[in-house]
Amino acid sequence: MSRLTRREMLGHAARGAALVGMGGVTAYLTVKAHDTYAWEIDPNKCINSQLGALGVEICDACATDCVLPLSAVRAVNHYPECGRCYICPAYFEIKSAVGPDGLPSEKLCPRDAIERKAIGWIDPDDPANNFYEYVIDESLCNGCGRCVMACKEPAGLGSIRLEVRHDVCLDCNRCSISTACPEDAYERREPAA
Amino acid sequence: MRRAIHVSLVVALLLAFGLSAAAQDPADYQRPVDVAPTDEVIGEGYVTPEVQRPRSLAPWRQVLDMALLGGALLLAAWIVLKRRSRRLAFALTVVCLAYFGFYREGCICPIGSIQNVAVALADPNHAVPYFVIGIFMLPLLAALFFGRVFCGGVCALGAIQELVLLKPIQVPPRLDRALGSLKWLYLVAAVALAVLPAAGRDFIICRFDPFVGFFRFTGPVHMMLIGGAFLLLGLFVGRPYCRYLCPYGALLSLTSRLSWRGVSITPDRELDCGLCNKACPYGAIEEMRAVRTSCLACARCYESCPVHLSCRGADAEAAS
Amino acid sequence: MTQVAAPLEYRLAGTLGAGDFDHALRGLAMVSVMHVVAPTEPTPFNLLHAVGDSRVAVYGRERQVRSWPTSKDGYSVAVDDTVWVGEAGQIEIFDPLGRLIDTWRDDDLLGLVTAIGITRESVFVADAAARCIRHFDRERNLLNNIGDRHRKGGFDIPNGVVDFVLGRGRGRGSRWVVHVANPGMHRVERYTPDGELLGRFGRFDGVDPEGFPGCCNPTNVTLTSSGRVVVTEKAPPRVKIYDSEGQLLTVVAADEAFDPAAKNMDVATGFMDRIYVADTAGRQICVFERTEKQS
Repeated sequence: MSRLTRREMLGHAARGAALVGMGGVTAYLTVKAHDTYAWEIDPNKCINSQLGALGVEICDACATDCVLPLSAVRAVNHYPECGRCYICPAYFEIKSAVGPDGLPSEKLCPRDAIERKAIGWIDPDDPANNFYEYVIDESLCNGCGRCVMACKEPAGLGSIRLEVRHDVCLDCNRCSISTACPEDAYERREPAA
Repeated sequence: MRRAIHVSLVVALLLAFGLSAAAQDPADYQRPVDVAPTDEVIGEGYVTPEVQRPRSLAPWRQVLDMALLGGALLLAAWIVLKRRSRRLAFALTVVCLAYFGFYREGCICPIGSIQNVAVALADPNHAVPYFVIGIFMLPLLAALFFGRVFCGGVCALGAIQELVLLKPIQVPPRLDRALGSLKWLYLVAAVALAVLPAAGRDFIICRFDPFVGFFRFTGPVHMMLIGGAFLLLGLFVGRPYCRYLCPYGALLSLTSRLSWRGVSITPDRELDCGLCNKACPYGAIEEMRAVRTSCLACARCYESCPVHLSCRGADAEAAS
Repeated sequence: MTQVAAPLEYRLAGTLGAGDFDHALRGLAMVSVMHVVAPTEPTPFNLLHAVGDSRVAVYGRERQVRSWPTSKDGYSVAVDDTVWVGEAGQIEIFDPLGRLIDTWRDDDLLGLVTAIGITRESVFVADAAARCIRHFDRERNLLNNIGDRHRKGGFDIPNGVVDFVLGRGRGRGSRWVVHVANPGMHRVERYTPDGELLGRFGRFDGVDPEGFPGCCNPTNVTLTSSGRVVVTEKAPPRVKIYDSEGQLLTVVAADEAFDPAAKNMDVATGFMDRIYVADTAGRQICVFERTEKQS
């Protein structure tokens, strides 16, 4: 490769110009770039957790509209806000008949994803005297929102909310849940810390 | 401290009574936390477990994907330009289809990233992750040096069409050229719709993505129908989506025009037999020369070459 | 027993105070007019005191007769010959015409005052922040707490409010009995002023009205003149009357009478066993009267 032909010179020059251009665009984007923008659900807009939205149908768009077979949305129990109730309306179907143990006979979660266990010092005689922890199994929950609606004020403390699992979410440009969401509760933004 | 508790309890109760719910920061769904029992009240050394926060985006995953994309591009360039092996190119195609297509569910997609990049360039309040910048830029960069090796070896959308191509027919060059300009229209439309103000923004490339439904084994009906139609057509017409509609293909044809190297039919060894021309299902060989802007780097021409063996490993330097 | 109980049935007789409260209506208390030293405004009816926002509103039979501001949001009210308003960290004491007599501040013992009971010798104050009832003498010395011996560290109140009412025990010279709603355990509990548990009733049931539904009911409690226990529930709102043994006597009103978001609806009883319920979400007071069948 002793001498460059004129043609090669032009080629190099054009490629160099293109590289500079692409580099410029990349630099501009990189300066602005963020690491963490992702789809998030605004709990104040989601009809299942929105305060004051009572007597409305449960919205299960998060469970049905995700492109994934098991939705990327999960119900999350914020433990510090959980009342650890004896009768949790998000765990029990509180309208079901009471069994011999004094508890409702049916559970609310259609996928049986919530686990209930007594915590702290356990009263052997009076189960109502205990606090209970409610843990939602991530691998079972599909984000249908029933427990969210049941735990909301004024029936409960509203400690359960729907949240997007960012490790599962494909972060589609046209997030199909966001387009189906009747409340425009989906937003692409910096997730809460 | 007690005072703070009282104040927050009052605030919480006010909220409980339905006040000022609308005025909150979206991330802030404050509930009457103070009425929940504390660890001391629960007793017996109970510790409130960590909230099952959505795990943060896994950065190693994105780095891995970017590295795989870059690696696949280099590998494709090596296979097509150096080894000139159709068999290896095909194998790479299958592997990339399996990984980027079915395993990553079609979402390592430079095609769709055009829209994100367009929005980030046009809207001062919008940005894209580093990952998307990489996804968008790497194949263009590769095309600048080696031609459209992304199309030939790496792109999952291309790969699925590559696999169904059973009986290629030659599209008349004039028609081919006319249809080929459609992708520019699509590119312009996609960018125009993406840079609209946020409320009216539409990502049509994703909305009409023909194959992502197949990758995920589920999708809207229109998507599956479009995809099915392209696959049917693709039985006879080589890669119809890539050649006529793919907006990223439009961009790649732009940078590959300037490419440093490309698929070349070795001039000092050629036989003028035209077999390579016939073998090219994409109409990318004109006058016994691979047209860089439309060559999809599938390496079929090498395979068809009667002097293939001598072609293999030929010094590409001499070729250009 | 020859006594035939008249059917215990109630109807919604009307509402009071609609539009008077902008943000919140929280506490109710009745005073019989004979206690009121208010020569300027003689009124033959009982007066209902309501607190909410940062004010006290006093209602006669049909309308507001006076109103005055408080320095903080009121959560509860009690009336003897003065008006006691429970707030966060303090109790304000007014004369019947609304002039401030005294402010009793105590951040530790009066965390959030959600109910007050006054006797000649004692003052009982429900502190929702500490989830117990404080028993003071009239000199404001703390005698003891009620409910803090509970295994759960206090009353179980996911609803955020401790509500109680003072009743007389049986027999002459008997002591006061504190009736408390313990919603998280679906019970109404009776305590002596010293904090000894006398008895309790209630169980969870989401279907049978005899039980208390949901996570935490009943939220509020009061007594009728004959010692029956009136309770209110939330989600859905409901008002019921039990006898002192926990036998359900009647459902006064179910959810259609109230805003469905109402919770912690304070309740007071008045002349002729009238029942006043604070619809906390609808921000008005619902008045229920007994339907008098031929007796």
